[in-house]
Amino acid sequence: MNSIFLNSYTIVYLFSEVITLLLAFILLGVDLKLFLKWDFNSSSKEQFNLERLAYLASVLALFLLIAKFIIAIYFIYTIDSLALYIPGAMCAAGVISANSYGILILETKAVTLFLLTLWVALQKYDIEAKNYPIFKQKSALLIIISILIIVETILDFSYFSHIDTTTPVSCCSTLYGNLEGQNPLPFNLSISNMLILFVSTFTALLLSILLDKKITSILLVALFGFISYYVVVYFFGTYIYELPTHKCPYCMMQKEYYYIGYLIWGSLFLTISFTTIWAIMGLWLKVNVIKLKKYAIINLAIFIIINFAYVAIYYIKNGVFL
Amino acid sequence: MKKILSILLTLAILVAIAVVAVSILKKDTTITIVKGNIAKKPLPIKLNKTNDTECAMLIKTKRNAVEAIAPDGRTWFFDDPGCMVKWLVNKPFKDKVTLWVHTLDTNRWIDAKKAFYGVKDHTAMHYGFGAREKESNETISFKEMQLRMLRGENLTNPKYRKKLLGI
Repeated sequence: MNSIFLNSYTIVYLFSEVITLLLAFILLGVDLKLFLKWDFNSSSKEQFNLERLAYLASVLALFLLIAKFIIAIYFIYTIDSLALYIPGAMCAAGVISANSYGILILETKAVTLFLLTLWVALQKYDIEAKNYPIFKQKSALLIIISILIIVETILDFSYFSHIDTTTPVSCCSTLYGNLEGQNPLPFNLSISNMLILFVSTFTALLLSILLDKKITSILLVALFGFISYYVVVYFFGTYIYELPTHKCPYCMMQKEYYYIGYLIWGSLFLTISFTTIWAIMGLWLKVNVIKLKKYAIINLAIFIIINFAYVAIYYIKNGVFL
Repeated sequence: MKKILSILLTLAILVAIAVVAVSILKKDTTITIVKGNIAKKPLPIKLNKTNDTECAMLIKTKRNAVEAIAPDGRTWFFDDPGCMVKWLVNKPFKDKVTLWVHTLDTNRWIDAKKAFYGVKDHTAMHYGFGAREKESNETISFKEMQLRMLRGENLTNPKYRKKLLGI
């Protein structure tokens, strides 16, 4: 057996994932039944039973949303802790790149969490309406989510079983820092141009949300998310680490940096999710969910304030920029 | 108020588009490494825009240029076979590396490990090992060239140069 399975962090993580897997199987079965047989106009006993099942499905989905958020955070914490056992790894960057499943798990987790958040927003709209107008679409969404959770658990086991504790992996300096002259930034951007692009995209995104321009918001939030990743790794990250050569998206989630990475990446993820869900609901259901809009703006503000605060504090303390 | 915000939104979007456009259109920065060459084929070298990884000189001609490709597809460029030997000696993947060299006689990319090397040629860094596809009395094998380079038996060594060229 791969020795990584004997690690307590891995055991706890995989045990939690197996529990969500079991719930996902139940959810899949229930939602397939609901999707195929739901008829709100019917007053049969079967429909009555389906309505009770629908309640079960919504409770399961809500539980999964909370559990998956906690497990996603714990996953990062786990892989960060595993850096001690894998030669060459200094943080989660090396561990996640130990094989090709690592990044896939992170992407699957992000998509699952986004869809679960979307489901909560749709659920609220649906139960407030009189006749469950989007029940079938909601059920279809839960079927997709259940399948994603099953895929995620398969990826989890593939990932941990393919980590070799004897083969050295690259550390974050090799993966993100020492690129031998290659420009890692997209569109051939320089750092200064990237900052201008970041600030202009942020301004445009904020204004488009305030002006209720939904399609523009979706396009801008996609660009903002993409650019933000590079800005945090290659600019703000250097101020968090107070070291111009240290470029890593994971180290900032360590104790030494007060776990600030969780807040930075979390607020970015929530900005993208809330903005997209708000825009989707506006375009599809023609409703303007003010709460989602507020949450999007709050998270955007948290993301911007934290990042720029690091630059400002560094400048106040040292009198120079990096 | 809404009008002002709309104008500001348009301006911000235009700035973002302009920054991306300017960055894409601006003159290329020099290339040192290319990732993702999984096919491990020789890549076209952008002359005067590609740096030799070892000596950091710009590669000005394909003659004797070398490309080293790691098992994961990372590709490095060299202006002289001697530079490649110096660079490769400490690399963990030195036994699994794919090497291409551009020959003097047939003017094409061939497997650098199967090429033959002159010892008195004019090369970019003056080591003297010019690559050829065809063997002759004046050429040595790749292994021999590697050994001589690491021993310092090349034209940059004054003693060795005098012995070979008489100057």
